[in-house]
Amino acid sequence: MKQPKGLALYAVIYLIFLYAPIILLPLFAFNDSSIIAFPLSGFTTKWFSELTEVEALRVALFNSLFIAVITSILATLLGMMAARASTRYRFPVQGPIMGMIMLPLVLPEIIVAVSLLVVVVQLLDMPLSSWTVIAAHTLICVPFSIAILNGSFSNLDRSLEEAAIDLGETRWGSFRHITLPLVTPGIIASLLISFTISLDEFIIAFFLTGNAPTLPVYIWGLLRFPERLPVIMALGTILVAASIVIITIAELIRRRGVARAGQEDSGGFL
Amino acid sequence: MAEPIVSLSGVHKYYGDYHALRGIDLDIAQGDFFSLLGPSGCGKTTLLRVIAGFEDVTEGTVLLGGQNMAGVQPNRRPTNMVFQSYAIFPHLTVAQNVGFGLRRKSELDAKTKKMRAEEALEMVGLKGYGARAAHALSGGQRQRVALARALVLQPKVLLLDEPLSALDKKMREQMQVELIRLQRHVGITFILVTHDQEEALIMSDNIAVMFDGEIAQLDDPETLYRRPKTRRVAEFIGTMNFLEADLHDDGQLDVQGLGSCQVSPEQMTAGVSAGSVKVGIRPETMGLIYDGETTSRRVVDAVVDEVVYYGDMTYYDVKLPGVDRPMTLSMKNLFGREVLDVGRNARVAWDPAALVVFPT
Repeated sequence: MKQPKGLALYAVIYLIFLYAPIILLPLFAFNDSSIIAFPLSGFTTKWFSELTEVEALRVALFNSLFIAVITSILATLLGMMAARASTRYRFPVQGPIMGMIMLPLVLPEIIVAVSLLVVVVQLLDMPLSSWTVIAAHTLICVPFSIAILNGSFSNLDRSLEEAAIDLGETRWGSFRHITLPLVTPGIIASLLISFTISLDEFIIAFFLTGNAPTLPVYIWGLLRFPERLPVIMALGTILVAASIVIITIAELIRRRGVARAGQEDSGGFL
Repeated sequence: MAEPIVSLSGVHKYYGDYHALRGIDLDIAQGDFFSLLGPSGCGKTTLLRVIAGFEDVTEGTVLLGGQNMAGVQPNRRPTNMVFQSYAIFPHLTVAQNVGFGLRRKSELDAKTKKMRAEEALEMVGLKGYGARAAHALSGGQRQRVALARALVLQPKVLLLDEPLSALDKKMREQMQVELIRLQRHVGITFILVTHDQEEALIMSDNIAVMFDGEIAQLDDPETLYRRPKTRRVAEFIGTMNFLEADLHDDGQLDVQGLGSCQVSPEQMTAGVSAGSVKVGIRPETMGLIYDGETTSRRVVDAVVDEVVYYGDMTYYDVKLPGVDRPMTLSMKNLFGREVLDVGRNARVAWDPAALVVFPT
């Protein structure tokens, strides 16, 4: 089929619109001026070295990483259990239960954040800390994890586990030796997505974080000082580079897993 | 019979309100090639899974080798299963698949395990395939790996859940012969679940025909084919023509379209009594008599209504005088034998001894 010419132009404009802001990040991160405007005034790496000198930023970064790591592990564990249950078993009110678990996917985050704040502070009378952020992030990450892992589990022939049991394995053994290796690509994808969601989540973290802000909250705080903007640009550059590296690694692992299991490659991140 | 290797008595299985197995009593002898045959939904797979231990029974007992299997998990039962999908572990090699069940056998040393896995592969004709990735195998090869993986554990009973249904016709016929040979070689009891009556007839020593969670008839293939106990069994196994008839007390039978004849008591199924009955007749027990041929069999005149040519065989639908529904008969296409055209008059030979009498 001959494709209309206009579509190619549309695709190019679309991609420019999508990536131009991201390309601006490294541009201004290396620009020797505290004013974010063209023309560029010269090359410098001072914004990057300034990054390392800000103690509060390092704390916020490690705080965010800590929250993201724990969140991704918790969300993936819970997601695995739910995905396995929903694909392998039939139980009463299964539809409504799964629906309710998936609901945070479409709930406005501001609503989740406010109601969680009320619950944590008013009802439970708990101090706000990284753990309250982790709990909230897990809540919003679990649906993503389930959506990803549902695919992995439902792709899996349920005879496989039975075959392993039939051959003398215990239930746990068949899960460990057969199911787990085959859903590993899904688990990695789930860990990664949860990690990313938690890392850049702002609204919930803003409400629930205690006296140790996450990176997005810290960055938001920096925006009040225009002269700090290039530092944020430098930070953003590092984050973008790191994201590309992480996604690439995860995708490589995923493809290798798919090839190893002889499954049809049904899409991924890249 | 000596102590049966599999013995089920009064087995019921409910899924909620659904009564999947309705009082199964079944003994299977050691070394038997046994088939559970029936249409989909008849409970044959459920029954197989009950024996394997994947489903527990709502009521009744399952004995394997004389031992009660109540509460015994599948991994502790002396059975192994070949799954319909084969369930080959895709992330392992062929050798790892075959050796999977041996890993947990601590009484065997590594060398013995390796040797036994290799023997099993050789037995199914996959010698030298050990290092291959399982996901790169063809359908037929997967099936063989599944067989080797189960047989390497030397189970008392091998359970096969529609193992040939995913293969193409040629491959299926080849595997049928190989399975029979393999079963004779290892001497293990095979229980095969299938919906394909031809497959069951070809392969089995004994067949249990199941309908609606019950065993309708259990017999060897020949008895099952020649002496079906009910019309439903007769219709399920092969093709059977049915005609209206009248039975007299002295065994005289007036068959619509064919005429009167004498039948013996063993031709009558349970529930038959004098009066109106149904008579079943297999296509191959009838034949066309060509011009110039003579026969000692009974002959009626008919008209060819439909011709289906199979190469080695021709199936004719013929209309008997006074019978609306055409009857199917089959003829071997012997050399020089003419295939009749639709509309031709034909003489049909039949045999009173080939009739089976059913209640209406």
